[in-house]
Amino acid sequence: MRKIWMLTCLLVLLFTANARATDIMSFDIFGPGQTKVNILVLPARGPNGAGSTALGTSFGNYVQSDIGYLPFLHLAYLNEILGGDPSKGLKADDIDFKPLQLGRIDLVMTIGSRGSDIEARVYETYTRKLLVGKAYSQVDAAGLPHVADRFCAQLMRVLTGKSGFFDSTLAFSKRVNGGKELFTASALGRGLTQITRDGGFNVSPSWSKDGRHIAYTNISDKGHRLGIWDRAGRFSHLRKFAGNIAISPTYTPDGRIAIALSLNGHAEIYMLDAAMRPGKALAPSWGISVSPSFDLSGNKMVFCSGRLGGPQIFLLHRDSGQVERITYEGTYNTRPSLSPDGRFVVFARLTGDGQRIFIRDLVAGQERQITFGPGNDEDPSFDPDGYFVSFASTRNGGTKIFVTTRYGDPAKQIPTGPGDAMAPAWGVAPALD
Amino acid sequence: MNAKRLIMSAMIVCSMVAFSAGCAKKTTDAMPASATKVEISDKDTDWQNKPAPARSLSEDEMRAAQRAEAQQAVGNMIFFAFDSFELTPESRTVLNAKADALKKYSLFNIIVEGHCDERGTSEYNLALGERRAKAAQQFLNQLGINDSRITIVSYGKERPLEQGHGEAAWSKNRRDEFKIQN
Repeated sequence: MRKIWMLTCLLVLLFTANARATDIMSFDIFGPGQTKVNILVLPARGPNGAGSTALGTSFGNYVQSDIGYLPFLHLAYLNEILGGDPSKGLKADDIDFKPLQLGRIDLVMTIGSRGSDIEARVYETYTRKLLVGKAYSQVDAAGLPHVADRFCAQLMRVLTGKSGFFDSTLAFSKRVNGGKELFTASALGRGLTQITRDGGFNVSPSWSKDGRHIAYTNISDKGHRLGIWDRAGRFSHLRKFAGNIAISPTYTPDGRIAIALSLNGHAEIYMLDAAMRPGKALAPSWGISVSPSFDLSGNKMVFCSGRLGGPQIFLLHRDSGQVERITYEGTYNTRPSLSPDGRFVVFARLTGDGQRIFIRDLVAGQERQITFGPGNDEDPSFDPDGYFVSFASTRNGGTKIFVTTRYGDPAKQIPTGPGDAMAPAWGVAPALD
Repeated sequence: MNAKRLIMSAMIVCSMVAFSAGCAKKTTDAMPASATKVEISDKDTDWQNKPAPARSLSEDEMRAAQRAEAQQAVGNMIFFAFDSFELTPESRTVLNAKADALKKYSLFNIIVEGHCDERGTSEYNLALGERRAKAAQQFLNQLGINDSRITIVSYGKERPLEQGHGEAAWSKNRRDEFKIQN
């Protein structure tokens, strides 16, 4: 049996009393001005402060790679520190914090390894307090990336109160044999797994909020069918509806599915009941309506509609039935995603340079561009914290999945293996085994 | 003595038989190079490459031939402007001819596939592709082709005809394709 890493807090968490959120550094990643914190990962050490094992060094590399995805952390390097490595061991007493403070390092991380055990600590340099301390035993090379991800999730949680980026699994479409099938992977591209083998084109995946199902559209010469993938049984069920289409199925927070069907001659959004029967159209009009996206309350639904001519983004208040136009700039705005708190909408806009992702603050009424190509950027999707935004882009040739933040931080590509990948959707679900 | 004679006679007979067999083989192998060697076989002769005798086509073959003719008659694509499902005058002419063909080949139903260029986004294009296919269906319906003979599948931008990234490719990708279904 493959060695499985285990979280054992006992060894190091004698320090947790010092690591209360009230005492330590924390910042609001959603604040108006983003804080950037400098973090230095010291070289891993072996037993008694000696040279590190390969496992410890590798763990340090994975952690630094993970930190690269967090725009509020800036990775510093040892050559920026006067006198080099200021540590003799792993704990606060073994670290000379002065050169770190002079070097404007806010956080310092130590890594220790012995056999298949790893210890990792992050200290705040100005207060010398321990922010995060974890020990992991029975770690093997295969499990090492997951251990690094878990440590970074804990660090992010301590610093920001959120860790959805590390706790989520992305579902997305990939080109396979001339069609498209669905795959899942962590937000860092770990555990890439093909989950459907339906043939045709599987597009527009949407996770149920409990992470147990994915709804999607299957397109083949049989027409459009709603696919529902079951995580427990690892199988899909395809269902045909009246009309010609079954586009953009989306789970609501209470586990129902909203989907665009053509029951009256054009695409309108319907809510399916428990027996998968469509009710009345939501926000009906004579024009196309697709791509519903809900906030966590389920009361707000943004969608794309051609009811006033070209496609624009609209907001439906489901309690009152009121429909509000959200986008006025540009003539082609599509594929919206609503943040869980219902405040922000990201969407794709066709510009003179191609599709770009924009964000609109529904409270402040302001709009800004958050991706800049080149090529086309589309299919934006908020992560469960409403901070990261994944999207598909052709900027590097082919279509690949990238992640930025709602502030438009430099986009990073998520590894999804060879072949085009698109339509990423975040789900609060652990990665598949 | 008699026994000796008998043994000698038997040996002579045997050696003569053996000699005659050897000669026969040698004769065969020693055929002149210019001679034609004929092999006689009991295997069935392969007639596949020979011209078939005149006969009437089977029902399946006739249907396949008709199907190919029908596909030829209805196969012309029609094209659309960006973000539009409006039929152009050229498209209407093509659809008129298609309606005549569908009346002629009344045994066959068709699939109308709606396609879009790469510029729009996937989900909106799936809805737009349906409107494009439906525009053709409605026009054909006005010309007397029953809706039940027409199946609509929208592929949005999933199956471009041309892989390019300019208007030359895009204009070819904004299309309806017509395929014989049965």
